[in-house]
Amino acid sequence: MRTLKGLYLSGCIDIMGYEALDFYDVDSLLTDEERMIRDVVRDWVDSSVIPKIENACREGVFLDEWRQEIGSMGILGAPLKGYGCPGLSYTAYGVICRELERGDSGIRSFASVQGSLAMYPIWDFGSEEQKERYLPKMATGELIGCFGLTEPDYGSNPGDMVTKAVEDGDGFVLNGAKMWITNGTIADLAIVWAKLDGVIRGFIVEKDDPGFSAPEMKGKHSLKASVTSELVFQDCRIPKDRILPGVKGLRGPFSCLNNARYGISWGAVGSAQACYDSARSYAMSRIQFDHPIAAYQLIQNKLAWMLREITKAQLLAYHLGEKKDSGTWIPEHISLAKMNNVDIALEIARVSRDIHGANGILDEYPVMRHMANLESVKTYEGTHDIHNLILGRHITGIQAFTREA
Amino acid sequence: MKAAVLIKQVPDTTAKIDISGGEVDESGIAKWSISPYDEYALESALQMQKDVGATVVAITLGPDRASKSLVDAAAVGADELVHISHEGAIGSFALQTALAEAVKRVGADVVLAGKQAADTNAGSTASGVAKILNWPCVGLVSKIDASEGEFEATRSTVAGLERVSVSSPCVFAFDKGEDKLRIPNVRGIMMAKKKPVQKHTMADLEVDASNGGITESSVTYPPQKPPGQKFEGASSAPEVVSRLRDEANVI
Repeated sequence: MRTLKGLYLSGCIDIMGYEALDFYDVDSLLTDEERMIRDVVRDWVDSSVIPKIENACREGVFLDEWRQEIGSMGILGAPLKGYGCPGLSYTAYGVICRELERGDSGIRSFASVQGSLAMYPIWDFGSEEQKERYLPKMATGELIGCFGLTEPDYGSNPGDMVTKAVEDGDGFVLNGAKMWITNGTIADLAIVWAKLDGVIRGFIVEKDDPGFSAPEMKGKHSLKASVTSELVFQDCRIPKDRILPGVKGLRGPFSCLNNARYGISWGAVGSAQACYDSARSYAMSRIQFDHPIAAYQLIQNKLAWMLREITKAQLLAYHLGEKKDSGTWIPEHISLAKMNNVDIALEIARVSRDIHGANGILDEYPVMRHMANLESVKTYEGTHDIHNLILGRHITGIQAFTREA
Repeated sequence: MKAAVLIKQVPDTTAKIDISGGEVDESGIAKWSISPYDEYALESALQMQKDVGATVVAITLGPDRASKSLVDAAAVGADELVHISHEGAIGSFALQTALAEAVKRVGADVVLAGKQAADTNAGSTASGVAKILNWPCVGLVSKIDASEGEFEATRSTVAGLERVSVSSPCVFAFDKGEDKLRIPNVRGIMMAKKKPVQKHTMADLEVDASNGGITESSVTYPPQKPPGQKFEGASSAPEVVSRLRDEANVI
């Protein structure tokens, strides 16, 4: 009789290469094109992200070659149509996010911010001239965008932001500061939300505009291969044609966030798949007490739980993609998927770290990096708790964000 | 100018190969890809497309699944796609005859192929097609500089790099090229699905599939590597040294 250890040693148990868990064969529901896009992005992550990510994290840099290669794959602003944008389905956009985040949440964050938070508002709320001027070059990654909503004192409560715009002659003058801005320092343009006569409006600020600076925030233990910045506006003067004409109020930034959160609900599945894959292969090859630890019930219980949660998360993400594509979604659907999928991905990363034992803390394995990244992902784009409150309001009709009725 | 690229779909190099009953069990292969040397040939043809405006025709022979490799070729920029359908094993002579006939029918001036397929390692396709067409064949090419009808090819030899000149019509067999196959663009992928595929059968091409010349008798796993040996402690150093010198011949 062949023992498990024998199976392992004879090479019958494969311990090499990434195998994406897809227990219910959910990817069979994708179109041929969506599967081809998946394979292209997955192969790119294998060849260009996995070998370089740990070093990039140690040095705290987002490699410029990633920008170029993501741009040349043509996946930025995936679901947008026209103006040189790819015009893919929301499901395809989700698949792209999942495959990128299997590599690293920072890589997916780059694409989310560029596509959903910077390109999307120009595409939906911009003037014809603004669309022509920015979108084609943003789709190829030639121009990088960022999104300034959160402020040092206004995170979950962006409506009370203090950044202000004032009309002045032939332009606007902006004053204030934004914080936690992905891509800020490397961005060529920023979509900045500020109050004009007390109403939130979107403005396009270019990197060389006078009075604008974007210092990088250092010292993160999470998303280390992603650039996070402050945006500072000190009597920053921009021309009149840089206001986004198509939207007023919080609907502007929130519609961007809906798309980004949707992408995150898929992206988190990628992180979880990476952690599961690493845990499974580690458990099969790590021998303690004469057997692979995968032969022990405590480990099998953990792996079965991961498989269960990933399978549910995949189905949530896929079905939400269908709803996005058919236009039958509500923001609460996105809150549920973002909250659930990031939550389980983080927990899977932690349990995967347990399975890896002491080895789990090394950057030889991806799990601790994913775990640290997911702490950010759980917080940004609407914290876990805020998404619960969004659902709470949906269930009861009573908002519980503030203490006022 | 028309450049035909001969593409074979093979199990991906990461795929696990199972053998049962003296044959490779295809049902267990999760991922099929273009054979890596063929990818270098394709990339070189795409550079001819850019440099001298060559039309790139991707030609494959195989079952239905092989059409995926044509779509992959179209996604990176192949202009025309030709699929010679054939189920099951085929002898190399019949394969070369069919490919040569397809090359004639598309009116190609130059043929590019990998030096060998990643699955069978036979290494006979490019030279066999050249023989049937009665065209010169340059082997182990790593780069081609094309002008209209004239080519300068770089090949690696034992002594170093060799540059050779050849005029069309001719055949190139690619070794590892200098340029890796480009990453497809999603727009290319969307367009690739819509690109028409010219379908041929062996009968259309008037090729007798049973006249293969060579028949594969069986496939077996390579012999298992002998287990490694372990030496512990400083006292084993003299023995390790003598083994490395006398048995492994590394010092």
